[in-house]
Amino acid sequence: MTTLSLPRTVGLARANATLVVRNRLTLVYAVVLPLLPLLLLLVGDSGSEGSGGAGAAAIVTALMMAALFPVFYNLLSQLVTRRDELVLKRLRTGEATDAEIITSLALPGFVIALGTAIVAVPVAMVLGQDAPLNPLLYAVTVVVTLLLFAAFALWTAAWTKNAEAAQITSMPVILLAVLGQVAIGFPDEVRRFTDLTPGAAMTDLVRVTWFGFDTGDVERTLDFADTWAAAGQPLLVLVAWALLAVYLARRSMRWEPRS
Amino acid sequence: MTTHAPPGPHIEVRDLRRSYGSGTTAFEAVRGIDLVVEPGTVVALLGTNGAGKTSALEVVEGLAPPTAGEVRVLGLDPVADRAEVRRRTGVLLQTSGFPADLTVGETLAMWAATMTVPRPVADALADLDLADRVDVRVRSLSGGELRRLDLACTLLGEPEVVLLDEPTTGLDPESRRRVWDLVARLRGRGCSVLLTTHHLEEAETLADRVAIMHAGRIVREGTPAELGADLPATIRFEGTPAELPGLPDPAALPAAVRVTTEHGSTTVESTDLQVTLTALLAAAAEGGVRLEGLDARSATLESVFLAIASGAHSDDRALEGADR
Repeated sequence: MTTLSLPRTVGLARANATLVVRNRLTLVYAVVLPLLPLLLLLVGDSGSEGSGGAGAAAIVTALMMAALFPVFYNLLSQLVTRRDELVLKRLRTGEATDAEIITSLALPGFVIALGTAIVAVPVAMVLGQDAPLNPLLYAVTVVVTLLLFAAFALWTAAWTKNAEAAQITSMPVILLAVLGQVAIGFPDEVRRFTDLTPGAAMTDLVRVTWFGFDTGDVERTLDFADTWAAAGQPLLVLVAWALLAVYLARRSMRWEPRS
Repeated sequence: MTTHAPPGPHIEVRDLRRSYGSGTTAFEAVRGIDLVVEPGTVVALLGTNGAGKTSALEVVEGLAPPTAGEVRVLGLDPVADRAEVRRRTGVLLQTSGFPADLTVGETLAMWAATMTVPRPVADALADLDLADRVDVRVRSLSGGELRRLDLACTLLGEPEVVLLDEPTTGLDPESRRRVWDLVARLRGRGCSVLLTTHHLEEAETLADRVAIMHAGRIVREGTPAELGADLPATIRFEGTPAELPGLPDPAALPAAVRVTTEHGSTTVESTDLQVTLTALLAAAAEGGVRLEGLDARSATLESVFLAIASGAHSDDRALEGADR
C-alpha cells in the first residue's frame, strides 16, 4: 500500500465534506441516524437490574448505524454519484492517487462515525452506564467495523448502476449487518451461523470489550483480563469479513460509468 | 519550473494498440499508431467520431494501459511513473467531470489541493475569464463556462505537456477563439500540446503537425501544408464555360486536371495553382472576360480529410482482406 499525501487527501476530503453538508438528506443520514440510538440510553432506569442490557443494545445500535449510514451508505452513494458525474475519472488524470481519492471520499463519513463511537462513551457514562472495560479493544472493534463497511461500499458501488439503485443494492450488506441482532431470538442451530455475520461479531465485541458481558449475559461476568480471550473469536470473524470485503472491493473497483 | 524535460520528444507513441473486450467480442480501437510530439509544438489528432482518438489519448494520459506498443511522456511511462508524469502533465477529458454542488472557487481549490505546485487560484480564474463566476455552483454553469473551468484545472499546475481531448467541442465561437489563444500561448511558453479534434479549422489554425486518424490508424501525418500538397488546388469562378465565350476551354489550361460545373459556377482543379491561375487570368484579360466570385486556394485540410473519409470504404475492405 502506498502512503497517502495528507494535503491531497485532506483537500479532497474537505470538498467531499462540503458536498455531504450541502445535501440535506445525506446530512441527516450521516449525522442524525447514528446519534439517534444513543437516546435509547435515556430509556429504562439507569443503575437498575438489567439496565446494562439496554445500555449495550443502545451502544451496539448506535455503532451499527454509524457503520451503515455515514460510512457504508454515504460512501456508496458518493462513489456512484461521483462516478456518474465523471468526477472520479477527472480526478484520476491529476496528481491524486487512487487510494487518496477513495480515502477522501470515505473520510467525512468515517470521522462522523468515529465521533459517534467516541461521544457514546461520555454520554453513556453520564446516563449511568459503566465506562468501557477494555478501551483499546473497543477502539479496535470500532475501526475494523468501519473499515469493513467502507470496503463493502466500494464493492457494492461496482455493481450499482446509479444513486437511486443504491437504495436496492445496499440491501444485502444492510441485512448482513443487522442479521446478528435480529437473530437474538432465533434457535441455537440458526444462531451458530448468524454469529458468523459481521453484525453479530461486532455486537459480541461491544458487549465484551465495553460491558464485560459473556455470550448471552446481561450482567458483567468478565474482568479486564478475560476480555482479550472472549474477544478472540468475534474479532477473528470481523477481520475475516474485512479481508473479504477489501478483496472484493479491489477486484471490482470501477472508475467510470459503463459506456 | 525547476525540472527540465530530458532532451527528446515530450510525447512518443510507438506501435500503440488498444483493444476492448476479449475473444470474439474483442474490438481493436487503436491499431498500431506512431506519434511524436516535440517540445513547444502542437499536434492535432484529427478524425471522425469513432476513429480511435480518445482511446489513443487515454493511454497517453495513463488512464489505460496499452494492449501493445509503448507510450513515453517526458521520457517516462505514464502508468509506472505516474506520480512524476502527472505532476508535469495537464489533462482535459472529452467530458468535464466536476461535482455539481461545488462552486467554481471550491472546485479550483479542491483541484489545487491535489497539486504539488499550483498557480494561485485567482490567476487561473482571471486567465479563463471566470473571476465573476467564483461563487456559482458548477450545475449552473453554461457549457462554455464549464469547459473553461475544466481548462483552468488542466493548466493549474503549469504543465509542460498538455493533453486536450476535444477542447472546443460544444463551445460558442467566442469561447472557442479564447481556447485557441490559450493553446497558442502554451506553445509560446514551450509547452507541448497534443489535442484531438474533429474540427478542421481548429487543426489547421492551431497545429504544427496534424495526424489524421481513421479506423484506429493514422492514415496521414504532416504539417497542414504538407498534407494538402499532394491534393489538387482549386480555382472557382461564377459562370460556366458556355456562358463565358471569351474564355478558352478551362480543361486546356496548363496543369489543370479536372473541370466541374455546379450551380452555375466552374471549378478547375490544378496541380500547380500559380501556373493555371496565371494562364486563366491572362486569357480572361485578353478575352475581356470578368470572372465574378473568383476564388483560388491550395488544397485545404478539409479536402484532405474528405478524401480520406470518402476513401474509407475501400480502405476497410482492404483491411478485412488482410485480416483473413
